[in-house]
Amino acid sequence: MWSTAREIAAGDLVIVWLTRDAVQPLVITPGKELNGKYGVYRHSDLIGVPYGSKIGSRNGRGFIHVLRPTPELWTLALPHRTQILYIADIAFVSSWLNIKPGSRIIEAGTGSGSFTHSVARAIGPAGHLWSYEFHEARVNKAREEFSCHGMDDIVTLTHRNVCKDGFTVLDTVDAVFLDLPMPWEAVEHAKKALRKDRTTRICCFSPCMEQVLRTVTALNDAGFTDITMYETLLRPHQVDSVPALPHIGQVSEKLKKAEQKREEKRLRQIANSRASAAGKRKRPGDADESDGGRAEGSAGKRPKTDDEDDVLQHEDGQLPQAENHPSGRSAGAAETEEAKFPQSVTESATPTKTTFSKTFPEVRGHTSYLTFACLLPAIPSAQADPATQEPVPSD
Amino acid sequence: MDMEEGPSKTPQNTRHETIQVGNTLLLKLPSGDIKTWKLEKDSTANLGKFGSFYANELVGQPFGLTYEIVDKKLKAVSPRTLQEVEDTEATNELINDGQFVQPLTSEEIEMLKKSGLHASEIIKKQIEQHANYSLKTEYSKEKYKKRKEAKYSKSFTVVDPTVFNVCDYWFNKDQNRLRDIRPDALGQILNLANIRPGGRYLAVDDASGIVVAGMLERLGGTGRLITVCDVDSPPAYPALVHMNFTKEVTQVLSSLNWATADEDYIPITPPSEPAGKIKSDAQKSRLNKRKAVSETLNQTREELFAGEFDGLVVASEYDPFSILQNLSPYLAGSANIVVHSPYIQIVTDLQNQLRNLPQYLGAAVTEMWLRRYQVLPGRTHPFMNMSGSGGFIMHTIKVYDPS
Repeated sequence: MWSTAREIAAGDLVIVWLTRDAVQPLVITPGKELNGKYGVYRHSDLIGVPYGSKIGSRNGRGFIHVLRPTPELWTLALPHRTQILYIADIAFVSSWLNIKPGSRIIEAGTGSGSFTHSVARAIGPAGHLWSYEFHEARVNKAREEFSCHGMDDIVTLTHRNVCKDGFTVLDTVDAVFLDLPMPWEAVEHAKKALRKDRTTRICCFSPCMEQVLRTVTALNDAGFTDITMYETLLRPHQVDSVPALPHIGQVSEKLKKAEQKREEKRLRQIANSRASAAGKRKRPGDADESDGGRAEGSAGKRPKTDDEDDVLQHEDGQLPQAENHPSGRSAGAAETEEAKFPQSVTESATPTKTTFSKTFPEVRGHTSYLTFACLLPAIPSAQADPATQEPVPSD
Repeated sequence: MDMEEGPSKTPQNTRHETIQVGNTLLLKLPSGDIKTWKLEKDSTANLGKFGSFYANELVGQPFGLTYEIVDKKLKAVSPRTLQEVEDTEATNELINDGQFVQPLTSEEIEMLKKSGLHASEIIKKQIEQHANYSLKTEYSKEKYKKRKEAKYSKSFTVVDPTVFNVCDYWFNKDQNRLRDIRPDALGQILNLANIRPGGRYLAVDDASGIVVAGMLERLGGTGRLITVCDVDSPPAYPALVHMNFTKEVTQVLSSLNWATADEDYIPITPPSEPAGKIKSDAQKSRLNKRKAVSETLNQTREELFAGEFDGLVVASEYDPFSILQNLSPYLAGSANIVVHSPYIQIVTDLQNQLRNLPQYLGAAVTEMWLRRYQVLPGRTHPFMNMSGSGGFIMHTIKVYDPS
């Protein structure tokens, strides 16, 4: 398949990792340049560089990682010609179908080749994959791609409508994977292609329940057993590192302080207004200068708003720290808090970060139903009991 | 041109095509329980109330078939297909719990069983005697018969030991010993780690060897797998036994422990020459054996320290960050790292720790979700109970830090 050499060579397919959401394939072609908002890179500069290297842009702005392709990266990067299979389903189907080195597998249809690459990797050069696609343009694209990826020896690609014309092999394969709109039409053909000397398996990949029901009936009629159905999903988690959550004691203290401040202000205002009413225009005390001044201009209603803003500011910003308060009072407040919540205060004094995770807000909810079944090996005739050959009627 | 038949050589398999003496088999009983049993030549297998049979009867048989036990001999039976159940007017409106419906006593049933009557005959008799059977719906009748079959039928099925089935067996038996690695999780791990025949991998498997089983199967006897364990003897990977791998498959596996995997560790070398007088043959062979073990150990260590491995899989009870710090220097650029844990905090903390390290690219945490359906004609729905968790996976790619 793809290069297993340590360093990148001309003609290699590499995966260029720009960001998590921007992963693209690139065939190293000397003389060409990769241009984009992530910088400018000459293909020839990548030759001889080990896979997995970080490459800085020629214009000094931006960098990329050049990665060795895997079927999983290819699934993220491949040109979509159809709806494709993603890792959750690919891995589960491969596992249930027991796809391993040396396996012989049938896949229909080829589609964009997402599943094809994963199977080719798993079966290796000792195995073989027969892939069928009825759409001619897709066949040609896929053929070009598989050839370019060095899969010619592993994959035999056939342009064919398997529902009408069946498969090209008989009593050969270990497993069949059907991603077709009407898989039930291919079930009898699949049975012919499966080997009969050991347990073989089939999977039908259908998005709709109606398709599942028809497929199950067809599988049952064809003599498949252990019919079962699964749905599988991967839920990606978003990981955040945030300061430890503040204790409510901090809010409580803050609110109490604000109230106290407000009350002090109110008393000052009363004193001030009395003083002005008496007609003695004296300068207020040093500490009250700014507050007192504003209070005069706004006829007694403003200070309240100011105080409320004060509280909101604390909520918006970080935890209220000792330095935000006049030195004398903060020490006293810290003492009372420490007495009440000794643990939390010591923690919040040096905020430790905690890792939290949650599921992404929008995730894939359904891909397809995976209908599986087994075809058991033929029972050696000497052993077979004719009485039990026929299905036992239910009544 | 498209009609070519592909390669003509028979592909190698990771185990023998048919059941062999010495295999450890999983036998599925009519009750649904699975019994693990080692096939010893000329022995008799005892399945309790489901009967006993001569072990030799299974040798050479394909995996996956169901057998009925008749006079300790085995008769392969065709699998039963699903039957359409006819909808009738019957409902359960006239059926009440606790009614006396079965005049056949358990003693009488026991007598029938002892007389050698076939399970289907006993069930038939029970149905004949059952007071309310005809009132039951067809669905209910089928359930009734199935329940009785599970009780009286003398039969079993040899489970095909695929990685999926072996993992499923262990997961259902004790998911803690598997560190919550459900079959779907194992599939994700093997794909994300890009396990392919011929690849070279590192693994830390404290999950009963299920990860090693999956990796060995995907290697198929080519490439390399070095595991690091926490004991000074070769690690016990009990899940491997059910895979019934051939020698060719397991020979790619070597194990080190956290001491021998340490570059600063100095192995205690056995004396090259027997000190003192010439020893007996037994002593010599013992000494040679020790020397061979020590040489193998040194080779494995050198191989690890030479690095350039294609991937690392971790399913461990130890701090994954410390494992990565130890082992990721031996990974090649673009190698895949997969860490599985039953706890999300362990992998999210790990991702957070890796976030600012330039040698790890695209760390991501995912959770597996799997729902199985009952598919019966007219009765298709998800199973009422499902597995709550198959654990969590952190995947990242090792890259070269230019600094």
